[in-house]
Amino acid sequence: MAAVTGEPLIRKKTRIGNRAPGHASRMRFVAISLIPILSLLVVFSLLPIGIAGWLSFHRYNQLAPTAPWIGLRNYEFAFQTDPFFRNALENTLKYALVAVPVNIVLSLPIALGLNQIKRFRAVFRTAFFMPAVASAVAVSLLWTTIYDPQAGWLNAFMNQVGLSSQPWLRDPDLAIWSVLAAAVWQDLGYNILIFLAGLQGIPDDFYDAAKVDGAGPWQRFRGITLPLLQRTTVFVLVLTMISYLQQFTHIQVMTGGGPIRSSETLVLYIYGKGFQDLQMGYAAAMSIVLMGIILLITLVQLRLLRSRWEY
Amino acid sequence: MTMTHGPAAGSLLRQRRYRTIGMGVLYTLFSLVAILFTLPFFLMLSSAFKSSAEILRVPPTLFPADPSFDAFRTVLNDAPFFRWFANSLLVSSTITLLVLFTCSLAGYIFAKFRFPGRDVIFVVLLMTMMVPFPVLLIPSYLVVNELNLINSLWALIVPAMVSAFGIFLMRQFIAGIPNDLIEAARLDGAPEWSIYARIIVPLARPPMAALGIFTFLAAWNDYLWPLIVINDLEKSTLPLALTFFNSQHAQRYDLVMAAASMAVIPVIIVFIVFQRQIVNALVLAGLK
Repeated sequence: MAAVTGEPLIRKKTRIGNRAPGHASRMRFVAISLIPILSLLVVFSLLPIGIAGWLSFHRYNQLAPTAPWIGLRNYEFAFQTDPFFRNALENTLKYALVAVPVNIVLSLPIALGLNQIKRFRAVFRTAFFMPAVASAVAVSLLWTTIYDPQAGWLNAFMNQVGLSSQPWLRDPDLAIWSVLAAAVWQDLGYNILIFLAGLQGIPDDFYDAAKVDGAGPWQRFRGITLPLLQRTTVFVLVLTMISYLQQFTHIQVMTGGGPIRSSETLVLYIYGKGFQDLQMGYAAAMSIVLMGIILLITLVQLRLLRSRWEY
Repeated sequence: MTMTHGPAAGSLLRQRRYRTIGMGVLYTLFSLVAILFTLPFFLMLSSAFKSSAEILRVPPTLFPADPSFDAFRTVLNDAPFFRWFANSLLVSSTITLLVLFTCSLAGYIFAKFRFPGRDVIFVVLLMTMMVPFPVLLIPSYLVVNELNLINSLWALIVPAMVSAFGIFLMRQFIAGIPNDLIEAARLDGAPEWSIYARIIVPLARPPMAALGIFTFLAAWNDYLWPLIVINDLEKSTLPLALTFFNSQHAQRYDLVMAAASMAVIPVIIVFIVFQRQIVNALVLAGLK
């Protein structure tokens, strides 16, 4: 990197660009700064990606003396044999496909409302964002106490309004959705902020002009807000989807994937296989499947949203 | 706005009345939503201040009948809470400072220097950003294990010292700083390091604030990575320690909530004090 060719010194005044005066000292600066930084990236980003690919084609166990090459058998096992992989995959998709719309259906109207009010906007914004700065573990523990079947506040409230108590996190049908509610509660604030920023980027003139033309509030929303918020919406959709497909902390802390694996998502299963059963080759193969799914869903989202709104 | 006379005045008045009613509805709704967002934190504190007897009462009481610091005292006496807090603070601030340094420097170089292979390296950098963390989980563990860093705070710090996202964010911003400023400093004979430190860093404050807040929050709240590389209680960070504490004191919600409060309240106070700056910074980083 940063090789300095033997350029004759006399030309230093006549040429600008690459070989301008001080070129050598600049290249030295680039090399000295960038080489350590890029080395770190190679060791902790690039190399692990390579290792993940390698692992996925081997039967790798840290304690075993050999790691035989087994071709695609890890992948075959996941898709053809392993019922727990299928279960985790279904849970992951179920979770993300519900959490993303719920998140957006709640955060967008809140942002629209915040954009309308002038007084106390900062107060409300702070309140809505507060859960997002708290640690996910603390929030998960907090919601575990709220969901407690006996001493929890939620059942106390349900009883108050005449509904019967539910086992929440201990019910195979309710557990995953109870976790989802807590997780969405925690990170709604991020999307509210991003939507709000998008709304504030729309010039007031557009609305004033539409008002002069006699457009009602709904028409202004359909004709101005929605199309101009398109970029923000795509951004929010894609990022939210990616993050919910990888959800780990809330589920791990609140249910550990149970009861009877009803809330076990892929990342939880990968963690269990890799670090508890020590089948790291298989776990790596599943993580690559997860990456493929994330990539595929992202591409589909970008494609669909572009074709719907671009004209 | 000027008053309109004639037939339009009536409809304008009506519009205004609708607007007032609408605003009233909006503020009422928002107050309810705000309660939904803050009530759980209140419940957390309420549990933390209850006695070990009251915490078992069914249905649970909303306010502690006899508020006491017993639970907090027990947490601080029975567990190395300050140690965990110090670990978290040390790890998160070290990571944040290092990330700010490496990313601003690399971002500056990618934005303002031409050197062989620059664009290829940058594209590879962007591609590593797309790889989700679960893919890196096992390999990173193996690398850190190979480097003999397992079960030390270095295992948390070293892999997080550089962030591809951070470099990207800084590059995007620094690209907008006029070249003339840099050229002028060079003509004055300023060494490259002082151009970076005296011109670029001060001008790149907004994205650095954003990156700093992001990095600190992520490091402070991280759970999955410490779960894998730390197995010694003395070296735990707060989130990991909280789950351990919870498993040791299952059903003692007063203790668990006291520990959780002590982990969460400082961050929330810092957030409330600097909320305007933090929100602006996050929005800036989010929209880039």
